[in-house]
Amino acid sequence: MTPLLQAVHLNFAYTDPPVLHDVSLDLYPGQVVALIGPNGSGKSTLIKLLCGLLHGTGQILLENRPLPRWRKRLLARRVAYLPQNPSHDPADRVADVLRLGRACYWAAFGLETEHDLRVADQVAELLQLTNLLDRRMDELSGGQRQRVFIGRCLVQEPAMLLLDEPNTFLDLKHQVDVLKLLQNLAHEHSLAVLMASHDLNLAGAFADQLLLMSDGRITARGPTADVLRPDLIEQAYGLPMQELTSGAHRMLIPRL
Amino acid sequence: MTTTSIAHLPSRARWSIARLLALLAGCAVGWAAIATLCVMVGSTGIGWPSDPAIRTLRLEWTLVASLVGAALALAGVTYQAVLRNPLSDPYLLGVSSGAALSVFLWSMTAVTAFQYLSQQAAAFTGGILTLVIVFSLAQRRGRLEPLTLLLVGVIVNAINGALFLLLFHVSRSQDLAKAFRFLAGALQQDLSITQIALVAATFAISLFILLGLAGQLNISMLSESEAQSLGVRIHRLRWVAMIIASLVTASAMAISGPIGFVGLVCPHVGRLIVGNDQRRLLPVATALGAILLAIADAASRYMGQVPVGVLTGFLGGPFFLVLLWRSRHAGARS
Repeated sequence: MTPLLQAVHLNFAYTDPPVLHDVSLDLYPGQVVALIGPNGSGKSTLIKLLCGLLHGTGQILLENRPLPRWRKRLLARRVAYLPQNPSHDPADRVADVLRLGRACYWAAFGLETEHDLRVADQVAELLQLTNLLDRRMDELSGGQRQRVFIGRCLVQEPAMLLLDEPNTFLDLKHQVDVLKLLQNLAHEHSLAVLMASHDLNLAGAFADQLLLMSDGRITARGPTADVLRPDLIEQAYGLPMQELTSGAHRMLIPRL
Repeated sequence: MTTTSIAHLPSRARWSIARLLALLAGCAVGWAAIATLCVMVGSTGIGWPSDPAIRTLRLEWTLVASLVGAALALAGVTYQAVLRNPLSDPYLLGVSSGAALSVFLWSMTAVTAFQYLSQQAAAFTGGILTLVIVFSLAQRRGRLEPLTLLLVGVIVNAINGALFLLLFHVSRSQDLAKAFRFLAGALQQDLSITQIALVAATFAISLFILLGLAGQLNISMLSESEAQSLGVRIHRLRWVAMIIASLVTASAMAISGPIGFVGLVCPHVGRLIVGNDQRRLLPVATALGAILLAIADAASRYMGQVPVGVLTGFLGGPFFLVLLWRSRHAGARS
């Protein structure tokens, strides 16, 4: 299978020292990849590089075309990005936020087509937001709000979702709901999903691949069983870990 | 009631060219109705003037007031969207202080270079020069950051104010009345048709361009990274929108002096009526600006030439408070 996105030998520095060292990765349609690693390991920076918000050295190919050669509007139709803290006006209605995702399709004067509204409606239905369309953003729970922001990304009709800690501020149930949703989007709708996560075990349970980052490098990659190993995690986080098993499930917790 | 689709939501129908034209037509009709009433207001009473000369004169004043009000409101909406600050007004970047300083210099007979300009040209030049300084100082590697722009605008305003006071202190000129009349924010009544036409053309072109950018202005209110990831070239948008809004402010200000409140309050009143979608807000707030200043101008005539800037505060402030109060109560009931 051809990768949707290929990143080769990426390096990046805000000032000194560098934040990313020689990072390479491939992302495939229908796959959920979780980026794990301690704070400051370069997860958010890598995501911003992959969607063209930052520019470093190395090469990023999206559908075999170098990322800098993509026009911004066309890039937004292929790659959607969700930051850690998405911004919104509390008075905005859910429908307004979803419709913003179609901005990369709007004509001059912000003119919309019937298709634009239809896509927003379909996404609302997919994410069970239909009954919330006329609600203000400040009337929603954290989980509902996060679904709206993921919805805004999906309204872009992208081939790839890049999510920076989509579980921030969510309780356990909503975390699981969001991860199930992402898994479903990847497997049922052939989206490539790359998400940064601080929850090793949840990321391991839902992702097809894990990328472990430490000091700006990818230090381990592969299926959950290959990456969620006490020795690798100890090395990355500097914290002694122990493994718990319950049936077929394995978990890592800090050894206190 | 269960909502089934976005298209069924009130005032959230698809934004089409027909809706845009209908909204523009509605705004134009609303303004024309109010403007006609304003022409009926004179210094001696209210009624349709039988003398054609008086009718023409009042019509011209009303049109100039509407033009200035519309320009200031248009700039206000744009500033608030791009700077992501609801307290932004068109004078924030120093257009008014630069123009005031320039008109002051122009009124001093010692500064001969300015004597070849009309007062309006002097005001426009001062405003534009200040903007060039503000944009040059605020930009970093060709990028405009809203917070930096705000801070530089405040600082340049303060410096202009200090320079103005210094010049006033050392000036020996006795003929400063014109400069002070300008500063009071009074609509000028001795304008040539060319001057009015220039301001009208600047306004029309600016309105067209900003309406074209209205969809992107919605996105500019998100964070920079979100705006870019939604396909908006945010730095180019900031430059284009800010330069156009500043130009339209400077041109309106050149024929009116610094009239406060319109550029700040009309966007907020518009927001209470049609929400925060810039595609609807831009035309509605612009029409409100035209209406507010036309009414203020008529009231000024009726009340014996009270400065129009004072009346915009008296008319716009309570109106804004009533709308705010009503919307809060409506929100509490729902």
